[in-house]
Amino acid sequence: MKDLLSKEKWKYVFYCISHPADGFYEVRHRGRGSVAIAWAIVLMFAISYTVNRLCASFLVSEVNPLDVNTLLEIQGVLILFLLLCISNWSVTCLLNGEGRLFDIMTVVGYSFMPCVLIYIPATIISHFVAQNEEAFYLILMSLAMAFSLILMLIGIMTVHNYTLGKTLLTVLLTFFAMLVIIFVIMMIYSLVGQVITFFKSIYLELYFR
Amino acid sequence: MNLKHKFLSRFIITLLIVSLMVGSVAFADTLPYVTYNYDYWEDYVMTPAAYVPHSTISGQSLGLDGELGSIYDIYVDPDSKRIFLCDNTNNQIVVVNGYDFSLVTVIKEFYNTETGNTDTFNNPQGVYLSPKNELYVCDTDNGRFVKFKTLENGEYEYISHFDGSMIISDILADDYTFKPVKICVDSADRIYIINLNEFQGILQLEQNGVFNGYFGTITVSISLWQKFWKTISTKAQRAKSTMFIPTEYTGIDIDDNGFLFASYIDNNGQQAVMRINSKGGDVIRKGANQNVGGDIAGTQYSMNIYCGTSRIKDVVYCGSGMYSLLDTLRGRIFTYDREGNLLYIYGGQGSQDGTFQSASSIETLDNYRLVCDVKRNAVNVFSPTEYGTLINEAVACRYDGDESLAVDKWNQVLRLNENFEQAYIGIGKAYLNDGHYKKAMDYLELGMSKSYYSIAYKRYRNNVLKQNFNVIFGVVLVAIVGFIGFKIYKKRKNKSEY
Repeated sequence: MKDLLSKEKWKYVFYCISHPADGFYEVRHRGRGSVAIAWAIVLMFAISYTVNRLCASFLVSEVNPLDVNTLLEIQGVLILFLLLCISNWSVTCLLNGEGRLFDIMTVVGYSFMPCVLIYIPATIISHFVAQNEEAFYLILMSLAMAFSLILMLIGIMTVHNYTLGKTLLTVLLTFFAMLVIIFVIMMIYSLVGQVITFFKSIYLELYFR
Repeated sequence: MNLKHKFLSRFIITLLIVSLMVGSVAFADTLPYVTYNYDYWEDYVMTPAAYVPHSTISGQSLGLDGELGSIYDIYVDPDSKRIFLCDNTNNQIVVVNGYDFSLVTVIKEFYNTETGNTDTFNNPQGVYLSPKNELYVCDTDNGRFVKFKTLENGEYEYISHFDGSMIISDILADDYTFKPVKICVDSADRIYIINLNEFQGILQLEQNGVFNGYFGTITVSISLWQKFWKTISTKAQRAKSTMFIPTEYTGIDIDDNGFLFASYIDNNGQQAVMRINSKGGDVIRKGANQNVGGDIAGTQYSMNIYCGTSRIKDVVYCGSGMYSLLDTLRGRIFTYDREGNLLYIYGGQGSQDGTFQSASSIETLDNYRLVCDVKRNAVNVFSPTEYGTLINEAVACRYDGDESLAVDKWNQVLRLNENFEQAYIGIGKAYLNDGHYKKAMDYLELGMSKSYYSIAYKRYRNNVLKQNFNVIFGVVLVAIVGFIGFKIYKKRKNKSEY
């Protein structure tokens, strides 16, 4: 937790996004990253993402602001992040990945930094463009996303000491693992629900006798 | 019966009477249908009613001996205000006075001067009064249309009939089945006919029977998925699968400028009406939602009663560029302006006044809207409310180019319904014309009009930049000079260090 206040660790985030290969290597092997900061960045990303959906000018926005539920959006981003990290970890464990769960979280979390930096300025810019100038806004937004995705890829490649091909394979498997995890959770949820109703009906039956 | 029972029964009877009274009061000021509109996000928004049921024209109210049968088509002559009803059951044309809805005459039998004996209709489905005051009746099962002349005394006299053998054409096959269902005549006396089971288009005929060709063709869109299945299926499978042929036209009308409005059933719910120019091309304009097909299909509320593809049965031109579509599936009437923006919706499915079981045709009589119903054997007359009148007037003002008067009307519309995006756009456009760009931006944003907002915003931005040019230029100049100065200063400092 005290990492959050460490100036040096925050500065290291910016070193990572400008020198991803070196930066993420030292996250894995010299312990220069911080899980707390990664979570803070993801939270910041969730907030800026929601702000973008809520406040972007109606010229560029495809989302009805009335449909946006701030808490649900933030929750969704955080849960997706956790799911992504856990499934990547569970896949790479089996495929000789060197990264630990905390390394993966740090790397993926740090990768969201470009989005955090760009989304809110882009939202402000969206209010100063006319209809055929929306390309400025769209380029900013897609650049941020692309930068983040590339960082994420390099990060995962570095912490696990993989080749590019193997990384892409594990990313594919990660998505599959995410689906499996969601499926298992939903199955457990419904099974537990059935067990509870079963015992509840036994109880009611005995109670009414 | 003891006292307790007596009291109870009296109480129940009183309760029943009171509840009946309450019920009837509640009915008197509620409409039998919902009135709504779609907003920019394609959500439905409840609105005040634009049209309310006014009265009904039935066999009883006309004093006809037999009941009035199924009315397949209706036409109103804008000059003489006569209403022509095509009574399909009794094979007759009923002519009604449009001022007081009283019976004028019934055309059931007529003396055919060509064959020399009395003739009747067989399953007539369409009726039209041409600009030359000639009455055209589609005598569908006799495979012809019959022309009548309007006499001075208001009666109708047989002129001639026209059947399939009289069509002069090289294209049509010899055994061509001519079964006209809807007919329309323009100011140049050209005849437009919708033929039964004909999907190539509308037949355009000259008075002498020369077939000018098909007019306006509905295009079929095949999705990529359907194309894919088509390529991998065998010949036998393809022969058995449904063909991709366009639907038929269902109704036609002619507007003030001689453009033909033709409605048809669109299964995608995107476009159910065409505005056809003299070359046969579709020149309809689609509004904010890119939809002129009635209810919006397949939105997030597709399980809702407000959505799903409509079956557009008829179209009528209402003046000032407005036109109404009649949905026979849910008995709704959709009115659009010239730019294809949905203005208001009214009507519904049911058996009360103002609702339909199977609506078949719609016409305008001044401000009234006349809709006939095949199953109820009656014509529903709708009259505009204050809200509907204001919208009609505002649209008419904009159509005539009187934007400032339109603003006044739109403001009154907003007083009744502040969710109406078209009103905001109307006001915003007027401000844009007057040069009040900031105000125009506010209104156009409320109306969610991206294109007009952009125009207003660009002009506003230019104005701001022009007015503050000195300040902006000064700041930029100072920044550049300061930056260069800083660089030089740093260089010298570095030099002095070594």
